Amino acid sequence: MYSVELDGVTKRYPGGGAEPVVALDAVDFAAAPGEFVAVVGPSGSGKSTLLNVLGLLDDPTDGRRLLSDTDVTNLSVAERTTARKESIGFVFQDFHLLPTLTAVENVTLPTAFDPGDASDRAADLLARFGLGDRLDHEPTELSGGQKQRVAIARSLINEPAVLLADEPTGNLDTDTGESILAEFDRVKREGVAVVAVTHDPLVEEFADRTVELTDGVLVDGVPADEGATPADHAPADPPEVDSSVPEGEP
Amino acid sequence: MTPGAWQPSVAMAARNLRRNRVRTVLAVLGVTIGVFAVATLGVFGNVLALGADDAIGDIGTQVVLSPNADAGVESLSDADVAAVRRAVGEPAVVPLYSDGAIVSAPTDQQFATVYGVERPGLAFEAAEGDLPERHRDGAIVGAELAENLGVGVGDRVEVAGGQTRVIAVLAQSQTFSPVAPDEAVFLPESAFAADGYDQVLVVSESGAEASAAAESIRRSVNAREERVDVFELAAVVDEINEFFDLLGTFLLGLGGISLVVAGVSILNVMLMSTVERREEIGVMRAVGVTRRDVLRVLIAEAGLIGALGAVLGTVLTVVVVAGLVVSTSAVDSTIALDPTNGYYLLLALGFGVGVGLVSGAYPAWKAANERPVEALRS
Repeated sequence: MYSVELDGVTKRYPGGGAEPVVALDAVDFAAAPGEFVAVVGPSGSGKSTLLNVLGLLDDPTDGRRLLSDTDVTNLSVAERTTARKESIGFVFQDFHLLPTLTAVENVTLPTAFDPGDASDRAADLLARFGLGDRLDHEPTELSGGQKQRVAIARSLINEPAVLLADEPTGNLDTDTGESILAEFDRVKREGVAVVAVTHDPLVEEFADRTVELTDGVLVDGVPADEGATPADHAPADPPEVDSSVPEGEP
Repeated sequence: MTPGAWQPSVAMAARNLRRNRVRTVLAVLGVTIGVFAVATLGVFGNVLALGADDAIGDIGTQVVLSPNADAGVESLSDADVAAVRRAVGEPAVVPLYSDGAIVSAPTDQQFATVYGVERPGLAFEAAEGDLPERHRDGAIVGAELAENLGVGVGDRVEVAGGQTRVIAVLAQSQTFSPVAPDEAVFLPESAFAADGYDQVLVVSESGAEASAAAESIRRSVNAREERVDVFELAAVVDEINEFFDLLGTFLLGLGGISLVVAGVSILNVMLMSTVERREEIGVMRAVGVTRRDVLRVLIAEAGLIGALGAVLGTVLTVVVVAGLVVSTSAVDSTIALDPTNGYYLLLALGFGVGVGLVSGAYPAWKAANERPVEALRS
């Protein structure tokens, strides 16, 4: 089983002329639970489109899209919103935290309009990312690395199957970027599939697998040997892995 | 949809409004002015109408009948009066003799209308002394005449050479009618030797009753022969009331214009703020906040601006109207406190909130329905 899978997905945009722009050309892609996949490629190669299609923000023109083996190719707007909330976490280059909300409130944003209070879980998540003393700080009072940790905590509030990251280290210095990637490493060991599109060679170092997208064509998007994916061993014992993480990591 | 479902939306809306305080305050101010304009102009129009109604109120309640000289009728007989009583039913019918005479007091004298009346209490009110059930003796003097002659209850006056004593002074008349009691003196019927009445007053409780009475007199008493001239002002009063209705509507319309301007300013503020927060709204949508919840937050923002402005505008109106009542004697406090004014306050309050919601609806709908992928692209 894959956490997320694209099967022959094509995405065409109506271009300026008669010919539509092909952003994704029959792309096959899959990420297994607990796998960290880096997607690289030059600007305009379709990386963002790939991420949007994976993240149910955009629909494919052709092909099939699966989320934990469920076909999610053609969903209504409301169904897509629900699926995003329940199964997908987003981490953006610009962090995209809401400036009026505290760290805890930003983390609970996906559930803010649902009955029940997720504040305790949000506080736990923030503590795990070393932000236990920043719970009530607003984004302006946080550094770039701290903001990105808040964003990662937000992406995990609903225990998603997939975490999608768009240039997660793009606005961070190398040291901070590295610490953020270490967080991704912890996240994937809990069985979450992490897909990051990036220009940053550092991300490739942390990734289990790097795939390259060129002019909408993706090569080797699906692991060659399914039996060898980290899915088979990593998520087997997540609590143990979780507890092994040292506290107060920078 | 429970109120609880709105609670997180309203809380988030309140924070968003606090973020750009100056803009929020200006938008609230716009609504405040609009609501203030609607409420004050509405109340002013109403006070004007009530005041006029108070001043002219009695005009329409009297019908005055006089013999129709064109048909050769010189005076109205007891039979005519009986016919009138049968025709009008409820309202009091007061037949009058009338003449003119010199009225002399010890210090002064004046020419005045002299009426003969049997039951003055049905048509008039005394300011001093009591009006007798049946007028048998003494003179009842009109307010102005009493003042001019400097006489009061108990004083002696001479009417057309006959000595009599003042038993009552009438209250200043509120009525505009051919029978002008202020400058007249009322004697018992026995003082007149005429064989018919010169006028008959029909006194009703309301303008509508007076109209009905006049109509039924025209139909029955004048059925075969035009025996009486019917003078009534109820129709004029209707016209006057219609005019004040129109004036009130016109004033409300003026206020409404400023409220529309306030609505446009909310529209502008909400559009600007949703354009500015396009990315934020995109993020909310991306992380799984539904369109409905985004819509609620934005509607709540506009609604809060509208409600806050409406409350301030209403309070301001109450303060200004109260200030006017206190500082000028022109506005009667009983008129200012008339419950119908509260209706205009509620109307303005409701309009203020409504304008907020309506103006916020389009920007909210637009922002909530934008595809997050577009919003995040910027």
